Amino acid sequence: MGSLDRRRFLKRFGIAGALGGAAAVTHAVVPHTHQNGGIALAQDDGHDATKRPEMHGGHMVVGEVDHARNGFSPYEILTDFDGGEVSTDTRGRTVREYEFVAVNKEIEVAPGVFFPAWTYNGRVPGPTIRATEGDRIRIQLVNTTEHPHSIHFHGFHTSGMDGVPGQGEALAGETFTYDFIAAPFGTHLYHCHTLPLVQHIHRGLYGAFIVDPKQGRPEANEMVMVMNGFDTNFDGENEIYAINSIAFAYAVKPIEIERNALQRAHVLNITEFDPINSIHIHANFFDLYRTGTSLEPDEFTDTISMGQAERHMIEFTYPEAGHFMFHAHQTEFVDLGWLSAFEVK
Amino acid sequence: MTTATARSARFPLWVGALLPLVLVGILTALLLGLDPIGDLRPTPPVESVAFERVTLERDSIELKIRNDGPDPVTIAQVLVNEAYWDYEIDDRELGRLERTSLRLAYPWEEGLPVVIGLVTETGVVIDHEIEAAALTPQADVSTVGVYALLGVYIGVIPVAVGLLWFPALARAARKWVLFFLAFTVGLLAFLLVDTVAEGLELATDAAAFDGLGLFAIGSIGAVLGLVALESFMERRRAASTGLRVAYLIAMGIGLHNLGEGLAVGSAIAAGELALGTFLVLGFALHNTTEGLAIVAPLGGEQERPSLWHFAGLGAVAGAPTILGAWLGGFAFSPSWGAVFFGVAAGAIAQVIWVIGRNMRTDKEPLSGLVAAGFMFGLVIMYLTGLFVAA
Repeated sequence: MGSLDRRRFLKRFGIAGALGGAAAVTHAVVPHTHQNGGIALAQDDGHDATKRPEMHGGHMVVGEVDHARNGFSPYEILTDFDGGEVSTDTRGRTVREYEFVAVNKEIEVAPGVFFPAWTYNGRVPGPTIRATEGDRIRIQLVNTTEHPHSIHFHGFHTSGMDGVPGQGEALAGETFTYDFIAAPFGTHLYHCHTLPLVQHIHRGLYGAFIVDPKQGRPEANEMVMVMNGFDTNFDGENEIYAINSIAFAYAVKPIEIERNALQRAHVLNITEFDPINSIHIHANFFDLYRTGTSLEPDEFTDTISMGQAERHMIEFTYPEAGHFMFHAHQTEFVDLGWLSAFEVK
Repeated sequence: MTTATARSARFPLWVGALLPLVLVGILTALLLGLDPIGDLRPTPPVESVAFERVTLERDSIELKIRNDGPDPVTIAQVLVNEAYWDYEIDDRELGRLERTSLRLAYPWEEGLPVVIGLVTETGVVIDHEIEAAALTPQADVSTVGVYALLGVYIGVIPVAVGLLWFPALARAARKWVLFFLAFTVGLLAFLLVDTVAEGLELATDAAAFDGLGLFAIGSIGAVLGLVALESFMERRRAASTGLRVAYLIAMGIGLHNLGEGLAVGSAIAAGELALGTFLVLGFALHNTTEGLAIVAPLGGEQERPSLWHFAGLGAVAGAPTILGAWLGGFAFSPSWGAVFFGVAAGAIAQVIWVIGRNMRTDKEPLSGLVAAGFMFGLVIMYLTGLFVAA
């Protein structure tokens, strides 16, 4: 029994593949396995580090999402800002034209777990619209599905462009063109506003709508983080939480950023079923620009909670290289996928 | 008529017998090959998984799972207490009725619940709750011994003690013998209801293998088996009528006790039952009366059966508890449970019939004393059964 106990002891403290002896002692203790007790499967003495980052130990999904099959990748969505097809109208105003195709698509939201999504252009979240305050936005919505859909923008527009039933909705097989001036500047949101609303939003019809101030902002590495969730078994509770749809995506493969470089993240909450989501970054604080509608920060903090459709712009800089987690501080969301990390180089 | 004769002359008998089978074969091949009604199936698959056996070791959990639904199931992820967790699985794609093994390294805590959720490819979550986590006993010498001891305590000793009522019964007047026979019938009637209820509950757990069907096969098989055994003993004049009936009762009770051992063993193994003093005491009281039931038909015998017979009766009625505890503790599955409980129910029903028949030969009308005996049997079982629940 003695050797068995010792073996358990060794496993528990992360000393891999050795049963006593000098080799084990020099092997040292792998520090991060403490985080969840460093439990290893009995057959898994070797601890295959290539399988997944050890920092998360046994507490993760198994396998990998096929982003190519999904047709979009969370790593690309992060920095994929879409300025549309740009032209200038007779009055010299910048016009940005987009085509959004509403299409049903099964997407893999965690390795091997498929969700029957409703999408704009085959991706969840939909394209990140990027414009400057005062630009004219023209978006043609082509509805190829069997349900009516719409695009409701958080921003200024006329009543006919509101994107709700009867005011700017594309019925099944039809199209509608939204036309408005981008304002006010800030980090905004668009989503389908067809009823029933929970269904149309939760199934994936939403995205970021970012309007820059005319005077611009300081140079920074910009990112879009859409906090969302998926109720895969349709019981009114989410089984998956994430930013940009794929559970644990940025934990499996952290977001690489440079130290001492200003980071600017547009963080949006479009989670259904849970009234509040949040973001917390480790070992750092951020400047919070509420709804991104001001040039001066409103707050200096490391955790911010957001109700549904609330969104903020946050800015931070990491002075040291290293691995830093960020995640929801609704901890149950962490366990279900909303866990991410920065790899500061 | 002439054409019929001509036909039968042209086709040998075996061709006619095989023809429907061949047609069924062709039909099956067509259905499987062309799938003409495939489009009629609703698109969302019905995904169902049965958790057949859960084994908890220090810091790890092993699950034996079986697809008991109509459609294939692909396990994509595993949730433990609402958190995605690393796991290993032998085969994540489970065809209909296929079984596989899934292992988790999880630092579960003694006595606390663990909910395991299998997330399938389509996002369905199939939950299984371990009500109170506890180490699963391993089939080593000491646990086998403990389970055997458990069987001895709740099965063998109480039945043996109950047999000691024989000397008193042997000297009792005929009407009191009838009273105790009626008592036995009441007692067995209670056990019958109890066994059927538990068997049907297990049958629902074993839906994949049509648990109700297994239960029915077990019970009808037991009835037929005991009828055959009884007529065999009768032909051979293997024993006196009283002794024969005593053995039949012992067998029925033994089969019931096998089920009882199975239930207790598996409940302890699954952490659903704490093995407390009250439980053992309850079973002991409960089963002592079973001993009385066995010796009741010997009350009218001219001469005392040899002591060997008493040992035999005790073994037949009590020892299966040990076997049941082992099976329950180390190899339980609801499907086998349904069969065992079916057998027990059938055996008890048959024994009730035999005793009732023997009592009728006395040609006495149903006396108040007999009715009281029957009720007494029911009530005693009910009251002693309460101890087991406590």
